[in-house]
Amino acid sequence: MTRSGEPVIRVSGLKKLYGDVKAVDGVSFEVGRGEVFGMLGPNGAGKTTTIEILEGLRDPDEGTAEVLGLDVCKHPQSIKQRIGVQLQSVSLYPRLTVRELLDLFGSFFEHHLPTQQLIDAVDLGERDKARSMNLSGGQQQRLSIALALVNDPELVFLDEPTTGLDPQARRSLWDLVKGLQARGKSVMLTTHYMEEATELCDRVAIMDHGHILEMGTVQELIRRRFKERAVFFDTSPQLPMDRLARLDGVVRAAQEDGQTVLYSSDIPGTIGTLLAMADSLSVDPHNLGIRQATLEDVFLDLTGRALRD
Amino acid sequence: MKTMLRLTVANVKSLTRDRAALFWTFVFPIMFVFLFGAIFGGSGTTKISVGFVDEDNTPASAAISQAFGQVEFLTLKTGSLEDLKDSMQHGDVAAIIVVPKGAMTALAAKTPLGLQIYTDPSKSQTTQVIDGVVVQIVNHINLGLAGGSEVVTVDRRTLQAQPLTAIGYLVPSILAMALMQLGVFAAIPLVQQREKGILKRLGATPLARWQLVGSNILERLIVAVLNAVLIIGIGVLVFKVTIIGNLLAVAALVILGAAAFLAIGFALASFLKTEDQASGVVQVVQIPMMFLSGIFFSFEFLPDFLQTIARFLPLTYLADALRQVMVDGTQVAPLGVDVLILTAWLVVCLSVAARSFRWE
Repeated sequence: MTRSGEPVIRVSGLKKLYGDVKAVDGVSFEVGRGEVFGMLGPNGAGKTTTIEILEGLRDPDEGTAEVLGLDVCKHPQSIKQRIGVQLQSVSLYPRLTVRELLDLFGSFFEHHLPTQQLIDAVDLGERDKARSMNLSGGQQQRLSIALALVNDPELVFLDEPTTGLDPQARRSLWDLVKGLQARGKSVMLTTHYMEEATELCDRVAIMDHGHILEMGTVQELIRRRFKERAVFFDTSPQLPMDRLARLDGVVRAAQEDGQTVLYSSDIPGTIGTLLAMADSLSVDPHNLGIRQATLEDVFLDLTGRALRD
Repeated sequence: MKTMLRLTVANVKSLTRDRAALFWTFVFPIMFVFLFGAIFGGSGTTKISVGFVDEDNTPASAAISQAFGQVEFLTLKTGSLEDLKDSMQHGDVAAIIVVPKGAMTALAAKTPLGLQIYTDPSKSQTTQVIDGVVVQIVNHINLGLAGGSEVVTVDRRTLQAQPLTAIGYLVPSILAMALMQLGVFAAIPLVQQREKGILKRLGATPLARWQLVGSNILERLIVAVLNAVLIIGIGVLVFKVTIIGNLLAVAALVILGAAAFLAIGFALASFLKTEDQASGVVQVVQIPMMFLSGIFFSFEFLPDFLQTIARFLPLTYLADALRQVMVDGTQVAPLGVDVLILTAWLVVCLSVAARSFRWE
């Protein structure tokens, strides 16, 4: 992460209402040059609305937003010349080929990269004459990233770039995003995959109901809430939660995704007393394991809900 | 401007790669031309019925009648001018030849005698044949009777036959229909592009709205001109329809008509959310319009209240204007009024579209 000079995005007190619904309700943040910044949150959290205001697609009701030092309300055209945009839904002229679409989009900008370079960058060399309607989901997503890069932008917005992709396609997209950062681009992305945020983002903002709940590096967010690691296991029958909470080192006991999770500051002590208790009740804890707290835990702790509910 | 042209090319490419769209845009109207041409066009091999009115009733007029009777491909029907005009309007006879009263006296005195012929300008093929025959016979009579001096002359008159019988009437109608559909149907891809987020994606580039709208209009106008060329071309080459008007005026009307219906299509697209909705509403707009605007049968056959409705429909005026310019048919309104009404539709719908069009 290299943050230097003026931030590429500066947002302050941003609000956007749809009727009575506060889609974005007082959001403030900055993104530094060269940074990959992620907005993590469930559907309807206001991530897309925020990113679309920055892209010049929507006007905010209140607050200010600057992209590359320009006010989004006053200079949308100059901003659009310098940013790259990938929208949530991948939809393009279905009957145009990869090459035709890249040529076409290039013509919208004052400066644009050679089409072949873009095709190579997203590894679509063998599909360049295919119509976009005939591409696989991962290929379409790569094309839409290539389209976001036609003008060699300083800042790229990616709205849920990997939603709906299989794990392999997701990995190849992550490599693309890492490549962008290596070439000095700033990236702002939204996602509801905590793994993606952990893998890609220098900093993350957790968003829910139009608010940013927490912001920082993934490690900061986890350490801010969980100084401990977690012991997890499946049990049947269920062990009594009140007794689990009193085991050695346990800070908090919780049920998450059908598993019992014990957040602990003393893992060996917790496991020792857990096994003793299970033994005395003749219960066998299956799939016992230890892990670090994750962004998912952070989100659950912040909102009381799992991220993908 | 260059960007707009690039986008227009992209739109045209998209259209040419979409077989269903190609069919509805180009093949469907041509099918109409062939269908109606087959029904009403008539074939060249059968005899042509010609009305013959003998107002003179003298041996001289009988001789003229005989001269026409000897022409192999003509069938003469005699009767009063009134009755025969009626027959002609119903398509039973293709032309009427009148030998006026006093023909024998005139011939004897070698004073000029005008032989009247009524023909239908929208049936150019028959008209030319009959004209040729009449001129030949008249020359023959002149030669025999008057040693070559022009005693008998041809007094040409026109009578517009009942429209349904003439493919010439239908070609401008089908053209008007095609332009109407082209414009109104433009709502569908637009709603589709919005629903799929293509418009939104374009909105995230520096592309200006006028470039986007302009490219859509340009694409459709290109298609409109192609359509007009195809329909008129087939009418002229296959069904021998004569276009009497000036082609520039036809082109101007094609563009005005296409633009007016495009504006209607864009205005519709502003209010429609989904592609399914759009396909339904477009049909609700275009099918009644097709039948109420007198494009396939004359307007006057409609009951009064439907005529009133038809008087508000833009298609009525586009078809009327094209007919007047192309084949000089009976008119619903003067050409200037047609143009004015189409322009009014264009302006109103365009401002509605500009005000309420949504990009997502």
